[in-house]
Amino acid sequence: MAARAAERGAFNRRAAAQWGVRHFFDVGRGGHGHIFPMETGMLLPGMFYFDNDRHSTNAGAIGAFGFRMGAEISRVLATGTNWVMTPKSVRLTIKGRLKPGVHARDLGFHIAASLKRGALRLNFDYRVLEYAGDLDQFDLAARAALCSSPTEMRAYGVFFPPSEAILAHARRHARQPFTPVFPDADAHYEAEAELDVSALEPQVALPGGVQNAVNVSEVAGTRIDHAFIGSCGSGMYEDMIEAARYLKGRSLAPGVRLFIAPGSEQSMKQLAAEGIVNIFLEAGAVMLPPGCGPCNDAVIGPVHSGEVSISTAANNNAGRFGAKDAKLYLGSPATVAVSAIAGHIADPRSIEASDIRLSRREAA
Amino acid sequence: MSEFEWRLRGRCYRLGHDVPHAGGVVPNWVITGRHFDAADIIPHLFEETDPGFHERCKPGDIIVAGRNFGMGPKMNGYIAMQALGLGLVCESMPFLAYRAAIGCGLRVMTDCVAVTEFCESGDELEVDFRDGYFINHTRNITREYPPVPDTLREIIEVGGNAGWLKRWWAERQGATLR
Repeated sequence: MAARAAERGAFNRRAAAQWGVRHFFDVGRGGHGHIFPMETGMLLPGMFYFDNDRHSTNAGAIGAFGFRMGAEISRVLATGTNWVMTPKSVRLTIKGRLKPGVHARDLGFHIAASLKRGALRLNFDYRVLEYAGDLDQFDLAARAALCSSPTEMRAYGVFFPPSEAILAHARRHARQPFTPVFPDADAHYEAEAELDVSALEPQVALPGGVQNAVNVSEVAGTRIDHAFIGSCGSGMYEDMIEAARYLKGRSLAPGVRLFIAPGSEQSMKQLAAEGIVNIFLEAGAVMLPPGCGPCNDAVIGPVHSGEVSISTAANNNAGRFGAKDAKLYLGSPATVAVSAIAGHIADPRSIEASDIRLSRREAA
Repeated sequence: MSEFEWRLRGRCYRLGHDVPHAGGVVPNWVITGRHFDAADIIPHLFEETDPGFHERCKPGDIIVAGRNFGMGPKMNGYIAMQALGLGLVCESMPFLAYRAAIGCGLRVMTDCVAVTEFCESGDELEVDFRDGYFINHTRNITREYPPVPDTLREIIEVGGNAGWLKRWWAERQGATLR
């Protein structure tokens, strides 16, 4: 595996040099491909682009659209374009505000579970999910979190009309002019639904998929060995701060290992400068390089057979972090942090959180 | 490209509804192991449901499937079907499965309503993927279905995405030389 990775890295560097790729982000230079372009103003509201990976849906957090090409990205790299069939759109209107201790990621799990139960009568398959309603409560990180689980339910795109706060972030970091897009008043949707989120509890997705979400109280007390915070769904600066609020001044439970992977080099630098990295290290966590962490083929920080993990990974399909018979649970950054301290799955509202101020100005 | 054979004539191989790519078309390890060489995949086509299929099928044979065929965006099974000279007709496919099949250069038609009701395995079929004709010679039934869209034909004619890129590159080199 290591030899193959080294070989692939060498090839990529050669190819980038040979073909004159201007935006080549080597290890240590960018971070997670579905996060740092939004944080650094490469990806801007109103943009359309082709991506190789399906979690390009994250682009919707900033009001852009990343169209997943898979292996066909080679045609895009060669010619600059490819054929597409326009996906249909479905609209989900969010009503109410999340309670304290409840994270956008919890809402994403709940949406997936509601789809599975048939409580939300929408089909996400090769559709674009457009959010509407009480969206101002969601900052960029929360919007990215809300792109994650719908993607696991086969949404091809997710779109948030950009708020003033998102537009301000984009203007501050933009490397080129941009024109945001918004839904037309007479836009057609294949289907529409509403969801009241004001009573939602923190969620935990049981092993097997994001759609297996239940209230945290149903599984609280389940002993854990392994924990991970990061991924395209929970890897932004704000997610790291959320985890740090619980980890500050506390230690991981004996026998629990916690891996933390910020989504970008920029976040890592900021977290280091603000002493947040030290909060994690003092607690006993392992800092991973910005990127996917164990969530991508368990290259780093895998689980062993029979172990129990709780994480913020994109999904918890069997084998996601290595051993197929490991039990993988998912939760919000807060739930994972608190569980790692407790040594078992725990409600983030069960312990007091420290007051750590977000330094990033665009934070809501 | 006029020599490309859009009309296939061969035996029907009928499948039911909801046949997934992983397990139903090829074993999951073929997908997770990232096997993309036709020669490697062919012995395992339909292996879990019909071992030895690859030895019994002949070029021109047509796989007829029900609704929701080939769930998943994976190409492995279609690489084998294309290399074996088979065609695929189904009642519906998830869009990404269809896209994968087109990308492999497979002659494929989807949205063929109730097509599995008009044939049984072993029937002699004739399908024209360019005009959408489906003829069952054994049962004397003819149906007309949505053909391969014009814009996607050139991809299939050159053997899929890889062939399309090779041609694009060759044309570009030619243009540079001139």
